[in-house]
Amino acid sequence: MIESKPASVAAELEEPVRAARELAKALGLDPYPVNYWIVDYDEMNQLIAYQGFQERYPHWRWGMGYDRRRKQDRFDVSRAFELVNNDNPANAFLQESNSLADQKAVITHVEAHADFFKHNQWFETYGPEEPGATAMLARHADRIREYMEDPDIDCEDVERWIDHVLTLADTIDQQRPRPIRELSVSSPEEPDVTDDPMPLGEFDLSDEVRDALFGDEFDAGGDEGVVDERASESDVLAFLWAHGMQYDQDRDRAVEMTGWQRDVIEMLRAEAYYFAPQRMTKVMNEGWSAYYESLMMTGEGFAEPDELVQYADHMAQVLGSPGLNPYKLGMELWAYIENTTNRREVLERLLQVKGISWRTLRNVVDFEEIRETVAPPPALARITAETLDDLAQLDDQFVDEDALCRARSGTIDVDRYPWKVLTFSGLARRNYSLVKPQYRGFLQRVSDAELERIHRYVGETDRYGSIEEALAAVDYTAGWRRMQEVRESHNDVTFLDEFLTREFLEDRQYFTFEYSYLSDGFHAASTDYEDVKRKLLLSFTNFGKPRITVADGNHENRNELLLVHHYNGIMLDLDQARDVLERTFELWGRAVNLKTVVKQVDDGELKRARREQREPEHREQGLMLRFDGDEFSTSELPWDAVEGIISREYDGTQSPNWHR
Amino acid sequence: MGLRDDLRRFEEVGEERRDDLADFIRYGDLGPSDAERVRIPIKIVELPEFVYDFRDRGGVGEGDPEPGDPVGAPEPGDGGDEPGDTPGEHGHYEMDPAEFAAQLDEALGLELEPKGKAVVERTEGAFTDRARVGPDSTLDLNWLFREALKRKLVLDFDESFMREVLRVEGIDPDTAYRWAREERIPVGRKWLVDEYADIPCEERDRWPSIETVEAELGRTPIVERIRREGFDHLPIRREDERYRHPEIVEERQKNVVVVNIRDVSGSMGADKRELVERTFTPLDWYLQGKYDHAEFIYIAHDAEAWEVDRESFFGITSGGGTRISSAYELAQERLEAYPWTEWNRFIFAAGDSQNASRDTADRVIPLIENINANQHVYLETRPGERAGLGRHARALTDHFEDAEDVVVSVVNRPDDVIEAITEILTREGEET
Repeated sequence: MIESKPASVAAELEEPVRAARELAKALGLDPYPVNYWIVDYDEMNQLIAYQGFQERYPHWRWGMGYDRRRKQDRFDVSRAFELVNNDNPANAFLQESNSLADQKAVITHVEAHADFFKHNQWFETYGPEEPGATAMLARHADRIREYMEDPDIDCEDVERWIDHVLTLADTIDQQRPRPIRELSVSSPEEPDVTDDPMPLGEFDLSDEVRDALFGDEFDAGGDEGVVDERASESDVLAFLWAHGMQYDQDRDRAVEMTGWQRDVIEMLRAEAYYFAPQRMTKVMNEGWSAYYESLMMTGEGFAEPDELVQYADHMAQVLGSPGLNPYKLGMELWAYIENTTNRREVLERLLQVKGISWRTLRNVVDFEEIRETVAPPPALARITAETLDDLAQLDDQFVDEDALCRARSGTIDVDRYPWKVLTFSGLARRNYSLVKPQYRGFLQRVSDAELERIHRYVGETDRYGSIEEALAAVDYTAGWRRMQEVRESHNDVTFLDEFLTREFLEDRQYFTFEYSYLSDGFHAASTDYEDVKRKLLLSFTNFGKPRITVADGNHENRNELLLVHHYNGIMLDLDQARDVLERTFELWGRAVNLKTVVKQVDDGELKRARREQREPEHREQGLMLRFDGDEFSTSELPWDAVEGIISREYDGTQSPNWHR
Repeated sequence: MGLRDDLRRFEEVGEERRDDLADFIRYGDLGPSDAERVRIPIKIVELPEFVYDFRDRGGVGEGDPEPGDPVGAPEPGDGGDEPGDTPGEHGHYEMDPAEFAAQLDEALGLELEPKGKAVVERTEGAFTDRARVGPDSTLDLNWLFREALKRKLVLDFDESFMREVLRVEGIDPDTAYRWAREERIPVGRKWLVDEYADIPCEERDRWPSIETVEAELGRTPIVERIRREGFDHLPIRREDERYRHPEIVEERQKNVVVVNIRDVSGSMGADKRELVERTFTPLDWYLQGKYDHAEFIYIAHDAEAWEVDRESFFGITSGGGTRISSAYELAQERLEAYPWTEWNRFIFAAGDSQNASRDTADRVIPLIENINANQHVYLETRPGERAGLGRHARALTDHFEDAEDVVVSVVNRPDDVIEAITEILTREGEET
C-alpha cells in the first residue's frame, strides 16, 4: 500500500495548484476536480506499475512493469513523469524530488487531462461515476485476493485463470456506446448476453426488473451451453462469460465454470472497458495536455522566467523522444486544427468583403498587413501593473472589468498573473496562433482548392465594405472553440482520419516502412501521404490490433467455438494466435476454431524473386486453426469460405516495390 | 506486500519461462548480453494476444530516408500501445555473471572452487585462537575447566557400584575388569585389585550375580551423580592450559585473468567464429561470476598477434597466414602484469588447428610450458570435419597427454558447446 501525503503538506505547491486550475478555466477548460498526492520515487514507480492506482489485484505482470521501470530508470535522465488517473475526482501524483518547474509542468498537464477525461465522449462509455474507478479497482483487488487466499481454491489456478482472460482483454467491443453491462444479474447460471447497450451499473437486478428489461432474450445461455448459432459477438469476453465452460482434466470434459471464474472474467472485462478510452485517445489526449501545458507554462507565463529554460529543456526531451511520438503528433495536430480554424475564420471574413472572391483574394490582400492587424495590441500582449490603463482602453470583450478593478486595487498580482484580468476572448487574442512566429506563412499557404471551398460556403459576399471592417469582426476564439468541439467527439482514429491531411504531412517527415523478404529486414517504403496515413490508422484502429469476433458458439453443431479474424490485408501473428487459442480453450472448455487469412510465399516464387532482385509475390489463403485441448489442426479453406471475413478498409496488399 | 508480491511472482514466472541455460548457450541469441549483464530470452514473458504479424504490419517512422533505405526493426508499442512499454526490454531474463555462474554450476553439475591468490589483508580477529604459551592474563580458564570436566567424565565411574560388583560370588578382579571393559566402564585393573584386597573374605560372595547388584543398587549415570553430589576434585592438567590470542584472518582475493586468443585468419569463417563465441562467452561470464575480480585480455592473431577489445573480438576477420605462437608471445608479455603468485590465469585459445609448419612444436609448446596458468585450453573448431583432431590440436594432445592443466577440446557444432565447456571447467576443478 502506498502512503501518500496530500499536497497540502507541501505548501509550496498549493498556490501553483490553485492558480493552474484558475488558468485552465480561464482558457476554457473544465476539468474534474483533481486530488494531488506527493509521493516519493519508489511510490511513483509502484503507481506507474499499477497504472495510476494504489491498489490492483495480485498479478505478476505488475511486478514485471515495476521491474522494467526500475531497470529502465538507470538510463533515464528525464525523471518528471506525469501520472493522473481517470476518476472523479481525478488523482494525480507528484514526485517529491521534482523541481518546482517540473511540478508546475505536471500540474498544468494534469489539469488538461482532467478536462479531457470529463469531456471526451469516449470516456462517458465508462465514466468514473459511482462508485468510481479507484473504488472499483480496489474492490476487484480485494475480491481476487480473497479467491487466492481461499483454502478451497488453488491460488495458482486463480493466477492462471487471470492469465487466460487477459490474453483476450482486447477482444472487447470498445466501439459500442455504453458497453459496460452488469453481467452478474441475479445468478451467474443465467447470464445476459443480449446486445442491449443498456448500462446497468454494478448492482443486482431483481428477476422482475430483469424480465421487464430483457424479456425473452434471456434464454440465450439457458440449455447446457448450446448457443444460438446466429450469435455474433464482438465482445468475446462477454460471450465467454455467458457461454464458456472450464475444461475438467480428470473427467475429460467441459464442466460449468465456478463462481469465482466467472467473477474474474467479469472484473477483468470491466477493467478492460475502463482503460479502453485512454488507449483509444492516446494521441488526442496526450496532445491536448501537451498543448495546454505549453500554452499555460510559456504562453501565459505559468513558469517563472528562471524556470522556463528548464521547462523548455524537458519539453524538448519529451517531444524529441524517438519513434512515433503520440505527444508530439497530438500536439502538432491540435495546433494544426487551431491554425486551420483560425485561418478559415479570417478568410471567411475576407471573402465577405465586397469585391473579393477566392480568385482575387491573393491579389487584393496583403497577408503581412493582415497579420499585423490581427496581432494582439501591445496592451494585451504585455500586461503589467503599469499598463492597466492601456488595457482599460481595449474592447471589453477582451478584458474582465471586474478583475481589472481588483488588479488596480492590488488584490490581483497582475505582474505575476496577467491572465487574471483577461476574458476567454482576451486570452485567445493574446495567444492568437496565426501571428506566432512558427506559423508565419500559414495564412497565405492556403491552397486555392481550400479557398474555393471556403468561398462556396460564404453566404453574404458583400457583407463588409472594407478589409478593416471584415477583420474587426474576426472571432479570435474560433480556433480554441473548435478544439473543444473536437476533443468532445473524436477518438484517435477519427481524429487522425480527419485532421492528418496532406497539408499537415507536407511539413513533416513521416515515412512508412515494410518488410523485405530479400534482405530479411525493414526498409523505408513510402513517404506518400496516403500510404503514411493508412499505415498510421492501422496502428490506431482497434488498439492497433486485428479484429477478432465470435462467429458461432455451436460450430459444426458440436458446441465448438468459432472465432473469426476480420482480415484487412495484414495477417495475424500465427504463433501468438495459437497460444491465445490454447488459452481460449480453457475458457470455453471445448474445441476452439479460428478462421483467418494468411499470406503465403512459395519457395519457387521466393527463388525467382531472389534471382530477379525483387520482392516475392504472396498468395492469400483462407485457414482454419482448430485446437481441441490436445493438439492443433490447420486446414486450408476455399476462398468463398473466407470472403465474408475480408475487409479492405486497410489495403495492405501492396508489397514494397523499391527494388523496381 | 502488494507490488512486492507481484514482483516476486514475476521473478518466479520469469524463472520458469526462461530458456534452458544450455539451450541458450548452444543456440540462443548472445547479442543482447554484454560483459556485465547476461540476458537470456524468456520464452513468453508477455501473455500472448491476437496481434498482427510484425513483418506484414510494417509501420510508420519519422525521419527522412529514401525509399529502399534500411530502417531498424519496428519497435513494439509503436502507435496505440500503452506508455511505458520499453522496446528492447522484451522477453529477457537478466542476470549478472555471478548468478550465471551459479546457474551454470547447477545446470552442468560443476564444482569449480575459485582459488584465492593474492593476500590483500591480514586482520586481527576475535580472541578465538588458542596457543600453548602466552601471558597469564590470557589463560583460558573456561577451556581448562571444560577439558578437566571432559576428562573427569571420561575417567569417572561409580566406585560404590564397582565395589559391590567385586562382592559378587565367583568374581575376582580379572573377571570384573573384563566385564567392566565390555560395559565400557573406565575402571583400571589396579583399582580393582586394590579394592578387592580390602574386601573382607566373608563379604566376597554377598551377591549371587551382577544382575542382582544392578537390580538392588542400580547404576547412577555420571552426569546425574555429579549433579547430585558435586565433585570433590577435577583432574586439571597442565597440558590443558591454553592462552587465548586473536585469530589472524587472511583475506585472499580471488583474482582471475582470462586471456582469450582467437585465430582470425581467412580460414576462420562465420560458422567457426560463432562456435568460438558460443564457447568463450559463457566461459568468460562464468569466471567473472566466480571470482572476486576478473580481467580479460582479448588477442586476435593471424601470422601476427594484436590486442583487441571485447566488442570486436568475435567479429574480426583478417587475411594472412597463421602463426599461433605470436598470440602466446603477446599473452606472455601481457601476463607479466598479472603475477602468477597473485592471479589465477586462464588461457583460452581457439582456431581451426591450422598453424605455420614447425610453429606448434618449436614455439607454441615451449610457450605453453613456460606460461604458468591454472589452465591452458585449445578449442579446435572445424565444422564438417570428421577426421579427428587437426594438426595443432593433435600435437598438443600428444605432447601434453598427462598434463592436467592443458585441455584440448573440439567444437564442431553448437551441440558440442556444452560438452566443451563442461570439460574445460571440470578439468580445472580437479586440478589441485
